[in-house]
Amino acid sequence: MNWPPKPSRKGSPNARTPADAAPRAADARPSAAGGRPAAKRLRATPPTTAQSGSDKAGLAFAGHELARASLDACVKCTICETQCPVMAVTPLFSGPKYAGPQGERFRHGESVDGSLDYCSSCGTCTLVCPQGVKIAELNAQARAVMKSGHMPLRDRLVSQTVLMGKVMTPLAGLANGALANPLARLALEKAVGVHRDAPLPTAQPQSFAQWWKQRGGSKPGPQGRIVFFHGCAGGYFEVETSKRAVEVLERVGYEVVVPKQGCCGLAQQSNGLFDQAAKSVLKLCDALLSTGRTPGSAKGLTIVSASGSCTGMLKREAREILGVTDDRLADVSVRVRDIMEFLLDLHEAGRLPLDFQPLEMTVPYHAPCQLKGQGMGMPALEVLRLIPGLTVVESGRACCGMAGTYGLKKEKHAIAQAVGKPLFDMVRATNPDLALCDTETCRWQLAKSSGVRTEHPIYLVHKAYGLD
Amino acid sequence: MSTVVVIGAGLAGLASASRLAEAGIDVTLVTKGLGGLQLSQGTIDILGYSPQRVTNPLAAIAPGGPLVPDSTAATGLIHPYAMIGAERVKAGVEYLAELLGESMLVGDPTRNFQLPTALGGVRPTALAAPSMAAGDVKAGDKWVIAGLRRLKDFHARLVAGNLARTTLPDGGSLQVRAVSLDLPAVKGEVDSNAVIYARACDDQGFRVRLAGELKPLLKRGEKVGLPAMLGLRDPLAWHDLSQKLGTQVFEIPLGPPSVPGLRLNDALLAHLRRLGVRLVNGNRAIGYRAEGDAVTGIEVATAGAPRVYRCDAVVYAPGGLESGAIAMDADGELSEALFGLPLARPDGELLHGRFWGAEQPVFRVGVAVDSSMRVLGPDSAPVWANLRAAGGLLGGANRIAEKSGEGIALGSAVAAADAIIEELS
Amino acid sequence: MRKIHADVVVIGGGSTGAGVVRDLAMRGYSAVLVDRADLAQGTSGRFHGLLHSGGRYVVSDPVSATECAQENAIVTAIHADAVERTGGLFVCPPGDDPAFGDTFLDDAERAKVPCQEIAVAEALRREPRLNRRISRAIEVEDGAVDGWTLVWGAARSAMQHGATILPYHHVDAIEVSNGQVVGARCTALKPGERVDIDCGFAINAAGPWAGRIAELAGCHGVEVVSGRGVMVAMAHRLVNTVVNRLAYPADGDILVPVHTVCVIGTTDTLADDPDRLPITPAEVRQLLDSGETLVPGLRQARALHAWSGARPLVKDSRVAGDDTRHMSREMSVIDHAQRDGLSGFVTVVGGKLTTYRLMAKKAVDVMCAQLGHNRPCLTDQEAVPGARQGHNYQVTQRLAEREHDRLQDQIVCECELASRGQLTRLWADNPLATLDDARRQLRLGMGPCQGGFCAARAAGIACQTKVADAERATAMLRLFLKNRWIGSWPVLHGEQLRQMALDAWILQGAHDIEHVAPTGEVPGELRPCDGSEDVFDADGKAEEVAK
Repeated sequence: MNWPPKPSRKGSPNARTPADAAPRAADARPSAAGGRPAAKRLRATPPTTAQSGSDKAGLAFAGHELARASLDACVKCTICETQCPVMAVTPLFSGPKYAGPQGERFRHGESVDGSLDYCSSCGTCTLVCPQGVKIAELNAQARAVMKSGHMPLRDRLVSQTVLMGKVMTPLAGLANGALANPLARLALEKAVGVHRDAPLPTAQPQSFAQWWKQRGGSKPGPQGRIVFFHGCAGGYFEVETSKRAVEVLERVGYEVVVPKQGCCGLAQQSNGLFDQAAKSVLKLCDALLSTGRTPGSAKGLTIVSASGSCTGMLKREAREILGVTDDRLADVSVRVRDIMEFLLDLHEAGRLPLDFQPLEMTVPYHAPCQLKGQGMGMPALEVLRLIPGLTVVESGRACCGMAGTYGLKKEKHAIAQAVGKPLFDMVRATNPDLALCDTETCRWQLAKSSGVRTEHPIYLVHKAYGLD
Repeated sequence: MSTVVVIGAGLAGLASASRLAEAGIDVTLVTKGLGGLQLSQGTIDILGYSPQRVTNPLAAIAPGGPLVPDSTAATGLIHPYAMIGAERVKAGVEYLAELLGESMLVGDPTRNFQLPTALGGVRPTALAAPSMAAGDVKAGDKWVIAGLRRLKDFHARLVAGNLARTTLPDGGSLQVRAVSLDLPAVKGEVDSNAVIYARACDDQGFRVRLAGELKPLLKRGEKVGLPAMLGLRDPLAWHDLSQKLGTQVFEIPLGPPSVPGLRLNDALLAHLRRLGVRLVNGNRAIGYRAEGDAVTGIEVATAGAPRVYRCDAVVYAPGGLESGAIAMDADGELSEALFGLPLARPDGELLHGRFWGAEQPVFRVGVAVDSSMRVLGPDSAPVWANLRAAGGLLGGANRIAEKSGEGIALGSAVAAADAIIEELS
Repeated sequence: MRKIHADVVVIGGGSTGAGVVRDLAMRGYSAVLVDRADLAQGTSGRFHGLLHSGGRYVVSDPVSATECAQENAIVTAIHADAVERTGGLFVCPPGDDPAFGDTFLDDAERAKVPCQEIAVAEALRREPRLNRRISRAIEVEDGAVDGWTLVWGAARSAMQHGATILPYHHVDAIEVSNGQVVGARCTALKPGERVDIDCGFAINAAGPWAGRIAELAGCHGVEVVSGRGVMVAMAHRLVNTVVNRLAYPADGDILVPVHTVCVIGTTDTLADDPDRLPITPAEVRQLLDSGETLVPGLRQARALHAWSGARPLVKDSRVAGDDTRHMSREMSVIDHAQRDGLSGFVTVVGGKLTTYRLMAKKAVDVMCAQLGHNRPCLTDQEAVPGARQGHNYQVTQRLAEREHDRLQDQIVCECELASRGQLTRLWADNPLATLDDARRQLRLGMGPCQGGFCAARAAGIACQTKVADAERATAMLRLFLKNRWIGSWPVLHGEQLRQMALDAWILQGAHDIEHVAPTGEVPGELRPCDGSEDVFDADGKAEEVAK
C-alpha cells in the first residue's frame, strides 16, 4: 500500500475552509458581470450585445463572482431538477440546471432567456445541490440583468415594503377594506399585475415601533442585552409576532434593544433591483450597528429576528447574490440569529428556561425555503419539541409557492398555487386550526390558500411560557 | 445522551444514521445536498463482476471467494470487503431490505439478478425494486420494450436491438422488439425527465391512458419493459399497470435522475425524520474540533456564522471522487477535504489513455480502515479513535466496474454503526 | 466503383482545401474535394480558435502579420456565422519587459496591424480576471472563429457554386500520364467503395500530410514539418476578449474565448507523425502554469478537455530543424510544373486558418497561370451561405435559439444546448454522420459533462430514428466516448475529475456499457486519422503510446 507524502493533519482542527465560502483567487475578482462596456474599437464595430448589456447601471456587482465561481462545480447531476417545485408543476420554467449553470455559460451581454423569470427564487436547488453550485443565486443575478431597464411597475411596488407598511398602517381599516374588495383587487391586478387572489398583508392599526415606544423599551435582564431586528413585515404587518418575540426574549432573561431600522432589501433583490437592495441592506446594517455595541467591548451584541427571510438576507444573500462585501455587513451577518435558532443555542448552552406549560396539540410546521437555505437544520422543530404535550409534524414539502413576492404576480399565481398545493393539503390534514411557519409571506400564502390560521413558531413558545 | 454526527446522505450515511437512531442514539446528519442515491440505478449491488460475471455475490466476497485476494494482488490495496467481511455485508443488505420492506426491495444476496440496462446491457445486481424483478433475463423470454417519444433518456429500439443480439449469461437469448408511444407526462411538454413521468404515473388517470396506448401494441406472451418511471410516491403504480396490461411489466433503470434511486432516498429520509434524526442540510462540514485522540465536534458552514455540532463519534460517509470528498489538484496531489485524512492509492499511474477494457486506477483511491471502519493512518493506527468511514470514501474497490457500491456502503455503514453502538452503550 | 469527372480535384478538407475548392468553383471550374476523414478533422479543427489580428506576428513574422490583418476583416465578413468579434488584448505581465510594447507598437504600425495602447485600468475593467499587476495593455482586432463552421461554410458555398465535397474519401493514388496529372483514385470509406476521379489538375491542400500526397504524385522532398500544439479548454469563459501575452510567442501565452469555453494555448514541439500527437498531463500542467501569469487562479479553474493539432510548417533552412516555434507561418505554394516537371499539380501548405482564403487564392492563381487562364478570384466578394444575414456569431446564440424552441423540441446536449432537431436535421442531410461528426458540427458532448449525459441519448436517437441499428448506434457511442477520452484524461483534476467519476458512474455503473453486446467497427472511423493519438484497435485493446 502506498501513502502520499503528506502526513495526516491530526490535531489541526479547522482543517480547511470550504470552496464555497472562500472563492478561488481567480474567481474572487470583481467582474463586469453583465458584459463589458463599450470599448473604443479600431474598426467600426456593430453595437454588440455585450455593449448594450453593460450600460445597464448597477450590475457590476462584485459578488457576481461568487455565484459564477460555483458554476464550474456543476456536474449536471439533475438533483436540482428533481427537487425544483416550479419545474414539477409547469413546463414554462426550464428548470434550475438549465437556467442556472447551463444558461450562465452562454450569458455574456444581453439577456435572451426570459423564461428564467419563472424561477421563483425559492432556493431549493441551491439547498439540495451536493456540489455546491449556487444555482438560485446565478438565476437571481441573471434575472437582474434581464430586468434592468424594463422593470415592471408591479415589481417595483411589491419590493417597496417599508413604503407599503408606512402608507397602510395609519389607514389600516381603510386599506384592509379595500384589499378585501374583489373589485379593488381586480383593479390592482389590471393596473400593476398583482393577482386578485394573491395574499396581501393585513395592515395593523399600530406599528411595532409605535408599540415599543409606548411600552417604553425593555428592562435589564440577567442574560444581558440583545438587539431585536423586526424587519418590515414585522414592523408593520406582523406586529403581533414581533411583540411575542420580544416578550419571549425578555422572559428568557434578556434586555431587548430595538434600534430604528429600515428594510433589508430582500424584496428589491428578489425583483432584480440590486442597486437599491444593496443600499437598503447597508443602511440597515448601519442602523443595527448603531445600538449594537456594548460599551467598552469590541464584540457586538447578538441580533435576533423573527423574520426568517430577512435573516437569510443579512446572513448570506446580500453577499452571495448582491455581492456586498462591506465590513458592516460582514460584522452584522455573523451576529444575526433567527429567533428559534437563538433559543436552540440557548438550550444547548443550558440557559433556556424549560418551565413550559403543556400544550396538548398536534400542529404542522413548514420550514420556509429562506430558512432552510441558511443550513442550520430546523431549530423551530427542536425548540417546539421541548414543550410538553406538543406534537409538531414537519411538512416535508419544499415550498409554499409564494417565494417572497412570486406568488403575488398575476402570471405566476396559478403556478404558485400548484407548487403549494401538496403543502396546503398536508397542513389541512394535520390540523385545520393552526399551522406554523417562520416567514411572513409564506404564512400569508399558507393561511390564504389552506384556510388554516398560520403563526410563527414563537407563537407557541410564547403560549407555553404563559405569556398570553 | 450520546450524540453521533453522520456526514453524508448517500446510502452509507442514511443507513448508518438510521441504525444509530434506532439504537437510541441522538443523531445529527450533516449533508451539503441530497445524497447520490438518485444518481444510481436504485438496485443494491454487492458484487457483479470479479471481473467475470458473478452469480452468487455473497460467496464471491467471502473468504476463499475470488474477489478480495485478486483485487488486493492486482492493486496493492486492501479491498474494503476484506475489512467488512461477507457477514456484515449480508447484515447490511438484510437490514435495509427489512427496513424498506418487500414493496421496495426484493432479492437474495446469494443470487444476482441479471437485469436489462437502458443501453441494452444485462447487469448483475443482488437486490432490486419489485418493479424490476420480471426483467431478470431468462432464455427464450419474449419481451417488448416500450419507450416514450418525449423521454430522451430511453430509446426502445436501442435497448431492444442490443438485448436481442446479446448472449445471455446462461447461454440463451431473448426475443425482443421495441415499440414507441407519444404520451405527454404534462400537457404541452416535449422534454420530460423520468421524475416528471413518475409523478404522472402516480396518477391513476395517467396509468389508464398509458395502458390504453400500450395494450393494443402487445403480443401474446410478451413481458413489457418500460423505463423506470412507474410512480414516485405510489409504490404499487407498476403493479397496477401490470394488471391493466394483463402481463408482467418491468422497469429498466435510467441515468440520472433515477426514479428508483429517488424512491429509496425518499423512503430513507422519511424514516430518519420519523426517528427524529436532526437533518442539517445545505452547507458543508468545514472543520472539526478534537480533544486528545477523539473528534468532539463538527463545524458546519451555516449561513452567517458556522455552527459546531458536538459529537461523541462520527460516521464519515461523504462519498469518494464523485462527490468531491476526495479531490485531485492540477499537480496530481490527492486530498480528503474535511479531516485531511491519509489516502491509500494504487501503485503506479492513476489515469491513462486507454478507455475500453482497462480500469482507471484513480477509482480505487480512498481511505484505509480497520475492521470497525476506523480510518487508519500510514502507521496502521486509527487517525482518530472515534472517526469511522463508510461507503465510497473507502479505498481499494473499483465500485463502478465491480458493481459493488451498495454492498460496500451498507456493510461499512452497519460495521461502523454497530461499533459505535457498542462503544457508547 | 464510381467515376467522377472534374476539372480539378482538391485533396484535403481543412480550411485551405475548402478555400481552394470554393475559389475554384467561384471561378467557374468544376471541382471535387476529397478528404480521408470529416471536414476540418485535422489541423483546422484542432487549434485555439483565434482569428488573428496579426498582433501575434508583428515582431516575429511581419509578412504574416500584414496578411492576417487584411484577411481578418474579410473572414469576419464572409464567415460572420463562424466569427465572434471578441477583440483582443496584448498585456505585459509582471516580469516581462514593458519595453517590448514599444517594439510591438512600432512593428504593428509598419505591418499595418491596427492596434492601440489602452490604460491598464481600462483593460482590467474589461477583463477583471486578468493579472492585476500587468504593466501595459494593447488592444487589437483579434476574434474567435469556429474552424468547423468556417470550413463547412466554405464547403457549402463551393457546393452552391457547383463543387462536389467528398469527406471520408481516401486518396490511394494520383494518376499521372506523360508528365500530367490525369486523375485521383480514391476509396470511399462510408460505405467502402472505389471512386475514380478523372481530372486535369490536382491541388494538394493536405496540410501536415501534404508531403505524403506529393509523394503519391511522384514529387519527392516536399518537407512539411508538423509543429505539435496542445490546447486546453476551460469550462467557461474566464475572459471575454482574446488575451495574449505581450512578448515573443511562447507556451501558454494566449487565452481565446470560443463559444462557451475559453481555450488556453499552446505548446509547440516537433512531431514526427501528424497522426500521432499524444498529450501528456505534464504538458497540460505546463500550459496551466503559464496561463496563471495572465489569469491568476487558472490552475484552480475547471479544465474540460485538451487536444493537439499539427501545424503544417514548410521546412525552412534558416532555423534549426526542430525549432518549430520559429519557423515561418508564411504560406507556400509549390508549382510542381516548375519544381518537378509535373503539370497539373500544385501544393499549397503552411499559413494559418485566418489566411486560408488568401492561400487558396494564391494556389488557384498559380494553377490559372499554369493553365494560361485569366479568371479573377471572387472569394472576398460573397458571404458563405450561413453568413448571409451578416450577424457575427455571439455566445448567447444557442441560448436564444433554445429559448425560442425549447417547448417544441428536446435538448440532447444540455451543456452546449444542442437540440434533437439539430441532430435529426444533420442526419437527414448526412445519414452516415457519426456522433463524432455531429460533435464537430453541433458541439455535441463538448461541454462540461463531455458526453456523459448526451452521448447515450444521441446514440439512442440515431437508433430510434433508424439512422443506425442498435449495433451501429452502440459502436458509434463507444467510439465517441473513446475519442472524448483522448482529450479528457490528460486534464483530469479538480472538478472535471468529479465529472468523469459521475460519467463513469452513469455509463459504466448504471448502463453497464462495457458488457453491452460487442460491436463491429464504425466504417471509416477506427483509423488513426484525426490528428490525435487515436491508436486503439477495434476490440478496444490499446497500444501504449500515451504515457
